[in-house]
Amino acid sequence: MEINTPSKSLAVSIVSLVIFITTWELICRLGFIEPLFLPAPSQILSRAVKMIENGQLISHTLASTRRVMVGFFVSSMVAIPFGIFLGSSRFFMAVFDPIISLLRPLPSMSWIPLSLLWLGITETQKYSIVFMGSFAPSLLYIIEATKSIDPLLIRAARNLGASKLDVMKEVILPGSLPQIIAGLKVMLGIAWTCIISAELVAAREGLGFMIMNGKEYFQTDTVLLGMVMISITVMVIDVVFRKFERRLLPWTR
Amino acid sequence: MDPLTPDTKIAVQNVTKIFQSKQGKKQGQEVVALKDLSLEVKDGEFLVIVGASGCGKTTLLNLVAGFDKSSDGQILLDGKPVTGITPECGMIFQQYALFPWKTVQENVEFGMKMKRMPRKDRKARGDRFIDIVGLKGFERSYPHHLSGGMKQRVSIARSLANDPKVMLLDEPFAALDAMTRQVLQEQLVRIYEKHRKTIIFITHSIDEALLLSSRIMVMTARPGRIAQEIINDLPYPRNAEVQLSSRYMELKRMIWDSVQAEVMKSMEVEAD
Repeated sequence: MEINTPSKSLAVSIVSLVIFITTWELICRLGFIEPLFLPAPSQILSRAVKMIENGQLISHTLASTRRVMVGFFVSSMVAIPFGIFLGSSRFFMAVFDPIISLLRPLPSMSWIPLSLLWLGITETQKYSIVFMGSFAPSLLYIIEATKSIDPLLIRAARNLGASKLDVMKEVILPGSLPQIIAGLKVMLGIAWTCIISAELVAAREGLGFMIMNGKEYFQTDTVLLGMVMISITVMVIDVVFRKFERRLLPWTR
Repeated sequence: MDPLTPDTKIAVQNVTKIFQSKQGKKQGQEVVALKDLSLEVKDGEFLVIVGASGCGKTTLLNLVAGFDKSSDGQILLDGKPVTGITPECGMIFQQYALFPWKTVQENVEFGMKMKRMPRKDRKARGDRFIDIVGLKGFERSYPHHLSGGMKQRVSIARSLANDPKVMLLDEPFAALDAMTRQVLQEQLVRIYEKHRKTIIFITHSIDEALLLSSRIMVMTARPGRIAQEIINDLPYPRNAEVQLSSRYMELKRMIWDSVQAEVMKSMEVEAD
């Protein structure tokens, strides 16, 4: 079949999803697989209904989303100006390069024990995990993005009377913004990885906690529901982010 | 060195510029781009510098704008040495150098914004120069929606709005098609006649030089020096009639002879 319109490809995608879920449901209903091992979609759905009714699903989802957003926001707000500054100064790049190089390879997971020792099982500890996991890579994305600026534009700006600070604000920031945003989109995914890991290890709420708790009580449906919720939440945030991106970059239209 | 006359705007005094070549076979070797070059530009003069590619014309302009430092000698603007990038020498680049994320309006207002001029005054002055270059109605367009000729007009308006003492134009029309180029040349002459800015204009087109200039300098190939100086006494407006006059032909022949000699010399250098 030839796909030549967006609506056609959407239709194909929907059919594909329906077939996938129906097959899964049938395999479980026909007793090929133990429900404890893999519950049917309908079972996950009824678990979802129950958890929506008692408010747990929403509160876990919101808890994780809030943690990601706060950690990611703080990390971006520090990384963007700092990255632009480092991208425009060879001296300070040389000063900070060894520190960034040391921090960059550390997976966010490796910060969990230290953060627990320092901050305990607190919200601040969750934010700090997201921050530590996304800061160094964000910074590198932003430094890289500043290098894509045409040096002629910096020259032109200086020629029109812009100070070095003006150049950062008026030329380097807007000029590298498309690439910064592309980088931050990737970082948002990483931020989710961070928070789920942190919640799997130690938490009192959140989707990671919900999954781990489900496992403790052999509620495989809760585990799967948590995973589905992560997917859905990340997808929703991605759509919102894209809307936001278009408003921020009117000249790319 | 002669004492400067009071109406000297720019004085280039014994300027030498040496580059270290960074790549290729000649890595680490010194390239003398300009050697002991001196020239003066008077207030309100339209100086066109003609030269083959690679003769150091752009290097000279970059030194005047303060983008680069000379290895020896000095450049004076109104009697004071140029030590760094100065907005008093407004540069127009061949590649326009418009900010893609700013509208025409915002581009034209950029210099005034840097001077922290109030928004209202900025807008009024910006509108005036957008009108002068004939771009009324395009204030809210982004550069990538404009043609090359329109982009260069925005760039000219942006420079004029910033009120520089001197305008430096580095082969500004080289990337445009012949028709557009002619329109912009005529527009530039009109702007020059009206605003009497001091202009240094670089080109490799002899016709362009004759059409625009009040004075022409021919530059030699590496190391760049002044080979010939011609006062362009052709009457304004330099319309088709002037371009067919015998004086025009005479001047063109004169310039061509010295440019040709320089091109031949530089080709020999390349062959070495």
